[in-house]
Amino acid sequence: MTQLRNVAIVGFAQAPIVARDEHRTAQEMLYPQVRRALEECGVSRDDIDYQVAGSSDYIDGRPFGFVMALDVMGSWPPRQDLHVEMDAAFAAYYAWLRMQAGDCDTAIVCGYGKSSEGDLDRVLNLQLDPFYLGAIGLDPTSTAALQASVFMEREKKSDVDLAEVTARNRAAGARNPDALLREATSPDDLAATEWVAAPLRAGYLAPKGETAVCLVLAAEGKAESMCDHPVWIQGLDQRIEMQNLGARDLAVGGGTELATRKALAMSGLATAADCDLVELSAANAAEEMILCGAMGLDPEKPQPVINPSGGALCGHPLMMTGLIRLGEVFRQLSGRAGERAVPDAERAMAHATSGHCLQQNLVIVCGKDRRWT
Amino acid sequence: MSSAPRTEPMTAEMVSEFVYKHSTGNDIGRFLAGMKDQKKIWCQRVRGLGVAVPPVGYSEADGSPAGEWVEVQPRGTVTAIARVFRPIAELHPSDLPFAYILVRLEGADTALAHIVVDDLDRLFIGSRVEAVWKPDEERIGSIRDIAHFRVIG
Amino acid sequence: MSQPPDEPVKYIESKIHLPYDYVAGDYRALYMRALADKKILGSRCSVTGKVFVPPLMSSPESFAPADELVELSDRGIVTTFCVVNIPVIGREVELPYVAASVALDGADISIFAMVQECKAEDARMGMRVEAVWKPDGERTGDHTDISYFRPTGEPDAPRESYINRL
Repeated sequence: MTQLRNVAIVGFAQAPIVARDEHRTAQEMLYPQVRRALEECGVSRDDIDYQVAGSSDYIDGRPFGFVMALDVMGSWPPRQDLHVEMDAAFAAYYAWLRMQAGDCDTAIVCGYGKSSEGDLDRVLNLQLDPFYLGAIGLDPTSTAALQASVFMEREKKSDVDLAEVTARNRAAGARNPDALLREATSPDDLAATEWVAAPLRAGYLAPKGETAVCLVLAAEGKAESMCDHPVWIQGLDQRIEMQNLGARDLAVGGGTELATRKALAMSGLATAADCDLVELSAANAAEEMILCGAMGLDPEKPQPVINPSGGALCGHPLMMTGLIRLGEVFRQLSGRAGERAVPDAERAMAHATSGHCLQQNLVIVCGKDRRWT
Repeated sequence: MSSAPRTEPMTAEMVSEFVYKHSTGNDIGRFLAGMKDQKKIWCQRVRGLGVAVPPVGYSEADGSPAGEWVEVQPRGTVTAIARVFRPIAELHPSDLPFAYILVRLEGADTALAHIVVDDLDRLFIGSRVEAVWKPDEERIGSIRDIAHFRVIG
Repeated sequence: MSQPPDEPVKYIESKIHLPYDYVAGDYRALYMRALADKKILGSRCSVTGKVFVPPLMSSPESFAPADELVELSDRGIVTTFCVVNIPVIGREVELPYVAASVALDGADISIFAMVQECKAEDARMGMRVEAVWKPDGERTGDHTDISYFRPTGEPDAPRESYINRL
């Protein structure tokens, strides 16, 4: 492996996920988190070289809506800036890449968006092509149900399996003060919730919510002074699947499998079992099982712990769910995970996704130690 | 920030509508013409995927140009089902409960996404379904020129 | 026939229909509701002291909080303007009309405003203007509570007084 720059997560701020904040715009929700993240690192805005955000203009409800957020990110004097119309975890990936170029040492990565303002079914229909898939009105729950049906048929999984996956996440979420749903729920209760798009019941779907998040990245040399326990990025990879759902094998996460293998190899690990915990961006229980298959994870085994935060099934703020997974990894490895801390965690993996049916997948492996010396 | 002003929430409802005329291009355009004028489903043979439906003019696997046109049958086997219990107005293609399906048409190597509206209790993965075409005067050159698929076994 | 028709369907039409239920945010809500009482609110940057109107939670310039609300005058200075000869969709306005940036007294940035009771050729930078409010009982707490601005007849403001408040 080529020598790369060691880059660490040194700060993370997130407001608790809510169904709807009636008092603040997306930008007003973001501003306090940017300030908190910088205060946690003990730096001023001028100490940050680069900024990048992930959000969706369709969620903002206006073209070029992302420029509104620049006003609360401390963009003046004129900064180097980038925006991606993807989960903000992908923005973190681009910040890491940018740092590899060597001319910036520190970055803030922001995610925001008020899912409650728009209609996500209609918004996410627009991710599909307008001729074939978009034209028949497919929404993300329906495409997820198509995928779940293929997976469950192939792997002989049942309604009960989905209920159990969800219940495990809900139990974990009860220990996460930032989660939207914070009550453990039994598999029976979940299996009694109404169908939305069978084989998916309301209980198996990640509850949409809104928040704002800011993660701080810093390269070796700067990271040490900004955080008592920097969490180093040791390996990462991003893979995409085809747009045509009918051309994919929906039962397997091929892109995720490859991204995981590459990210683990980059970090010098043999398997996902070498991680102490994994945070997955699964928007429903079937997706979590597909991801576990693709990433070589077994929820029955004690290690790695899957979604100690409760995962997206306890709160799914679109455009931020993936970055929150990375933030959770930071919290776990830097001793900030409170009641949900995985004891003695040394290494962790975060997964983020964008698009329908796990189309784009990003896997980031982090650890307490620098990867390259 | 503790002194931040606070007041009763103010909200505003608005609807954004964007009307688009998407250029189809030659490949999607000829596929749609086949649906409209011939009631036929044409696919393209592409590298890596075989006979791909619906066609886009290239291989979605490796980006290579599409090869010959191949007619596939308007019937096939269901490979995936999403049963929609509460249709969303002005988005979903049915007002009553229906199912999205992926269907592997006879002669095709990839699956087409469409809907089934009747006999949902007889619809399973592996069921046989057949296209129900809209009448001549209602076909406009759209994937919805097939009104829906019906279960035939 | 072993080919689809030669003549493609050239277009498909689609309509994107997206309903929204926006949150104005408390700063904007306070600003709008104050207009019903013929008050214009701004917010002051806790570091630079600059006053923004409409009020902002934070200063885009200094990154500091701007959570102190201040009441501004409804008089100000035309800092820049243009003469518009095309109609406004959904609004009846006599053409041509003057669209101006107005720096209200006490504010450090200007607001967008329409200037009436003023011939287009008389509009100029530095001209003093004042808000013309809708009558009592007709104001509802939104932008239209100020019908327009009109010249006050006061002497023009010197360039230095507004050149940094465009």
